[in-house]
Amino acid sequence: MAWYQVKGNETDVVISSRVRLARNLQGYPFEERLTAEAATEIIEKIEKALGADFKRTDMADVTPLMAESMVEKHFISRDFAKTKSPHALFTNENRSLYLMALEEDHVRLQCILPGLALRDAYQFAVEADERLDAALPLAFDEQLGYLTHCPTNLGTGLRASVMLFLPALTERGYMPSLTHQLTKLGLTIRGLYGEGSGTRGSLYQISNQVTLGLSEEDILTKLEETVNTIIEKERKARVLSGEAAAIREDRIHRAEGVLRYATRISSAEFFTLFESLKLGVALGLIDSIKAETLHTLLFHVLPATLTLSEGGAPEDGAARDAARAAYIKRVLEDKKL
Amino acid sequence: MKCQVCNEKEATYFYEETVNGKSRAFHLCRDCAQRLQAEGKLSLKLPEESQPTFPDLFGDLFGLTRPRGTKPQQGKSCPDCGATWREIAAGGKLLCPTCYETFRESLSGSIRSIHGNVSHVGRTPRAFSAEAERKNKKASLKEALTAAIAAENFEEAARLRDELRALDNQ
Repeated sequence: MAWYQVKGNETDVVISSRVRLARNLQGYPFEERLTAEAATEIIEKIEKALGADFKRTDMADVTPLMAESMVEKHFISRDFAKTKSPHALFTNENRSLYLMALEEDHVRLQCILPGLALRDAYQFAVEADERLDAALPLAFDEQLGYLTHCPTNLGTGLRASVMLFLPALTERGYMPSLTHQLTKLGLTIRGLYGEGSGTRGSLYQISNQVTLGLSEEDILTKLEETVNTIIEKERKARVLSGEAAAIREDRIHRAEGVLRYATRISSAEFFTLFESLKLGVALGLIDSIKAETLHTLLFHVLPATLTLSEGGAPEDGAARDAARAAYIKRVLEDKKL
Repeated sequence: MKCQVCNEKEATYFYEETVNGKSRAFHLCRDCAQRLQAEGKLSLKLPEESQPTFPDLFGDLFGLTRPRGTKPQQGKSCPDCGATWREIAAGGKLLCPTCYETFRESLSGSIRSIHGNVSHVGRTPRAFSAEAERKNKKASLKEALTAAIAAENFEEAARLRDELRALDNQ
């Protein structure tokens, strides 16, 4: 099962936790200077180091649509999907590990888990990192730490991030001041979906900015403490009473109705409805839908994944909206996950 | 996202800096970015129309478009990949792990402005932690040896000397 189909902690506010480690092999140049032969050699060395419980997928064998779907599910990065030279993905689904061989760095090892689970994600990533370390000479410098293609990842090479659902803080206009405060703490926040005019679905990602001079423990603790504070603030901001609560409840059930019965749903509309439905589930107003079901919906109705599961051409807007509505209806009726 | 300064126009610039370990970042519209730049509050090189590209920002940091702190190590090239400082500064990224050693001096200013004036703490590859352990052990053995000689405890000194030799031969 993919990470989003599994039950997690604090899923009323936290969608997922992710930890990424950047590593490079000493003795090989970075992408601009790397030959195809050397790239293949690196991939083979990584395969050997990781062992049999990692499944190798050569990206040359993956269609652009499948690669895009992997991006939508956060298994790989967009840059990795676009890379032309030899590159491979190593996955261990039991450990929720996805290792990109030859992204910007030789190794981008990431673990992504549902809910708030930064420590577990880090632990799983470290287990894989230890396998690499035992078998391969990793590029390292006592002062600069793990050496990376871009100096912004030096040191631990660790980027820890948490995907949050913050509808109440967004609605009350707290996001700009929160962004400001996070920046002061060396953390960054960005909206996950939507461009320009704002985020869609009140979904955000918070991650550490600085990777050098702080230990992994420091980075995780700071992020975890901050996320816990935000969770508390979001939960408090969700408390409404009287007419305001009644209006919200009506909106939530209307959203549920549209998601269950509409026959065409655009991507933009989906995000608006998703936000209401997820809030309804989080508040206990809707008890027939599980958080995992909602998260599965979120990642499966994006264009490439939807096209893969339902067929048709991704550029055909009307047909895709119909396919999306049909898929949502099926999932909510619990007929197909 | 709206500009964090005027809160009206669309933010098309993301400005971020780390000075002495303190980071700040803003989403800004073009007008506010230009105004703050003119007032000397941002050290940003604004290109004509588009958003600053990565090399624009980092080329700056690397001292290609604006001299900053250390002088580039001119004429040098990386023994492993042949990269020159100009190539690295133009792309904003290193070309092989050895480049960090080759251009350590030129890079120190830009690394400080990204991360602050710091050294690595945290996980270390096995090979390096073993080496560090060996160094530490050697240092404490040497200290004990000096102390043993000073105390005229020659039996102990001989033992420590042998242990040091064994460590060197490892």
